[in-house]
Amino acid sequence: MDWLEDELRQALRRKDPSPDFEARVMAAARRRPVLTMPRWLAAAAALLVITSAGLGYRYHRGQAAKAQVMTAMRLTGSKLSRIQMQIKAARP
Amino acid sequence: MVFSVVYHFLHDRDTAEEIAQDVFLSLHRNLRAIQSAAHAGFWLRKVAVQRSIDASRKRMRRPQVALEDVAEPVARGVPADPMLGETLRRLIATLPETPRMVIVLRYQEDLDPTEIANLMAIPVSTVKSHLQRSLALLREKLVRRGVREE
Amino acid sequence: MRIVRTVTLACAVAAALWAQQLKLNLDHLAGKASDSVDVSLNNSMLQFAAKFLDGKDPDEAAVKRLIAGIDGIYIRSYEFKQDGAWSQADLDQVRNQLKAPDWSRILGIKSAEEGDSAEVHVCNQNGKITGVVILVTGAKEFTVANIVGAVSLESLADLGGHFGLPRLEQQKGTKKR
Repeated sequence: MDWLEDELRQALRRKDPSPDFEARVMAAARRRPVLTMPRWLAAAAALLVITSAGLGYRYHRGQAAKAQVMTAMRLTGSKLSRIQMQIKAARP
Repeated sequence: MVFSVVYHFLHDRDTAEEIAQDVFLSLHRNLRAIQSAAHAGFWLRKVAVQRSIDASRKRMRRPQVALEDVAEPVARGVPADPMLGETLRRLIATLPETPRMVIVLRYQEDLDPTEIANLMAIPVSTVKSHLQRSLALLREKLVRRGVREE
Repeated sequence: MRIVRTVTLACAVAAALWAQQLKLNLDHLAGKASDSVDVSLNNSMLQFAAKFLDGKDPDEAAVKRLIAGIDGIYIRSYEFKQDGAWSQADLDQVRNQLKAPDWSRILGIKSAEEGDSAEVHVCNQNGKITGVVILVTGAKEFTVANIVGAVSLESLADLGGHFGLPRLEQQKGTKKR
């Protein structure tokens, strides 16, 4: 990994909005109901949207974690494999 | 995610919260078009990108300049900035809009060039070119600031 | 005084629990490396990642089985274009931690000709393996892989046969779990 790319990942780590952000979004959603939906459904839909976005985010993070695990295991496996071959080569 | 993309693009917390709120409300109004949780994520990202770039153009805080023309601070004799992350964020904020968003999507969201191209509706080759040039420029600026050795 | 003793005891217990996880201060090598891998996955990240591993894919299924009992995986792997990028101090930093009583080296091999060296160390607590360290160094390479938790050496050996790697044979005298 290039050092600059590593630093960029660190510098651009996700930041959270203010603690009351979600409450403000919900309040705004209640103030601007979708005309075809009753108010209570609009609020529930807004909550679902935020949760769904979280799920999309969760899926993406899961894939990233999986990729890290697979990289770790491939690297570990390849080192062990190399050690094994060196041992075999060293045997009389 | 939405807030973070906008924040790192505009480097302005208040505006980022405003835009993020607007993006969520927009999704709420367009719920019927959403097919799945993953689609919601894609939709949010796409709209966040569009609204961020629109906001940046409206504000006109930074004149549009070519990458190479971004002004350099006095390089020699300036002590290295211990807060490399903040230095990088400021340098990124000086990039023109499209390469700036490419950098944010690549290194914050970990998207590959194809995903970025799809999201921003620009060719993959353009994305790769922006990435290459931006990285080269950022690297050069950091070296000149004495933050990093070549 | 009681508070001091309690805190000291808590620190000692924490230190013992985490003896199998090495402190790896090797970030300075990343700047010199032409290629580097930096993985730090604690238990919660591993459990999270496991949910996304496909049980139908042979490679992913093998990894899913392996990480089931693992508490953490920490890898720092660097490749360099020039010799001499890492120093004896970097190696000692790792080896000194492996001198603790719970650690023992179960395998070591050195190639005098190529200057490569490889070691496998295990942390054994109460008759159980609670950690493994694989340390591989060469003129242009420095790799430390630290696996924390109930690591099965057989499972690690099972990584061979996956990812296009040759299957590993169990070594004579290796402790079996």
